[in-house]
Amino acid sequence: MDHIEHLEHTESPANMKKQIWNTFYVLLVLTVVDIALYFALLSSHSIYKNILFVFLGLVKAFYIVSVFMHMKFERKFLASIIILPMLFICFLIWLALTEAGYTFDSRLF
Amino acid sequence: MSNTATLSTDNKQTWGGGKSPLSISYGKLMMWVFLLSDAFTFSSLLVAYGFVRFTFTTSLPNEIVKPFSHLSHTFTEEMQKAGMFVTERWPSPELVFNHFPFLHGIHLPLMFVSLMTFILIFSSVTMVLAVEAGHRMAKKEVEKYMLWTIIGGAAFLGCQAWEWTNLITEGASLQNNPFGPTAFAALFFIVTGFHGTHVLSGVILNIIIYINVVNDTYEKRGHYEMVEKVGLYWHFVDLVWVFVFTFFYLI
Repeated sequence: MDHIEHLEHTESPANMKKQIWNTFYVLLVLTVVDIALYFALLSSHSIYKNILFVFLGLVKAFYIVSVFMHMKFERKFLASIIILPMLFICFLIWLALTEAGYTFDSRLF
Repeated sequence: MSNTATLSTDNKQTWGGGKSPLSISYGKLMMWVFLLSDAFTFSSLLVAYGFVRFTFTTSLPNEIVKPFSHLSHTFTEEMQKAGMFVTERWPSPELVFNHFPFLHGIHLPLMFVSLMTFILIFSSVTMVLAVEAGHRMAKKEVEKYMLWTIIGGAAFLGCQAWEWTNLITEGASLQNNPFGPTAFAALFFIVTGFHGTHVLSGVILNIIIYINVVNDTYEKRGHYEMVEKVGLYWHFVDLVWVFVFTFFYLI
């Protein structure tokens, strides 16, 4: 069973190692920024603060998926197959938070 | 294999058969589809958390305890008396996750979870470096980076075990929570537990792959694609942690 398989795959760029380390530094800096912002905005309960943290999380997710998971170099069609269904999650979030607002109003402490 | 080389690689022939239209192997495509379904599972858990979180009043600003200050043995009781840990109010994460191993009695808010995050990000980097070495068929490098990834994953699990033990000792469980609403502790254990189970299975998969690398399995096969597939799973676990960290510790 000593046969050699030939796989179809998309090639990585020549500077892949450099891209990996750059992504690592981006993730490192964003995590430090996250914690710094948490303490800077500790007394704020603005909804924009939550949006800011979620946005920073999405930026980190973008870097992990595109470079670490190689999605940047794959076919666009594959990326759409995997990423577009995630839009349903946005609908679920909107649905749950609207409903949670009503539950909050009707809660008796 | 010679017949595949004669097939047209023209773009018009993408769906013409004889080659993968997405330039991806079956196994890797299925790993992506699995990760999509797993992303839905984690989203439903995190959305459930968001729902419950939204139905409670937000925490009071903490003006009692400053970072690096002394933590008394009755810290939880003091916080309960001060109205920071009450059942009708969501607790502030910096007051709950403020312990660090070997630095007992010092208020170090979110420092331990930051360390855990760094460990997981770093193990993700060593994993992708193993994948990159696999493309070059550099067996020794794949071995080295796989080993570092396994160590990183195990270290993360150890940290989580320590954090759980700490919270359980203080009386947190699925039915009880000294820090405020019961749902807070229940959701914390369910979601971080589900993520921890993913890390554990990731470490086991990494160990299996490492043994195969050492035994020349992929060298004989002619490619290191199994490292890539497990790598995808490992990065996904890191990706989920980004959101668990954001929702449980920052918001």
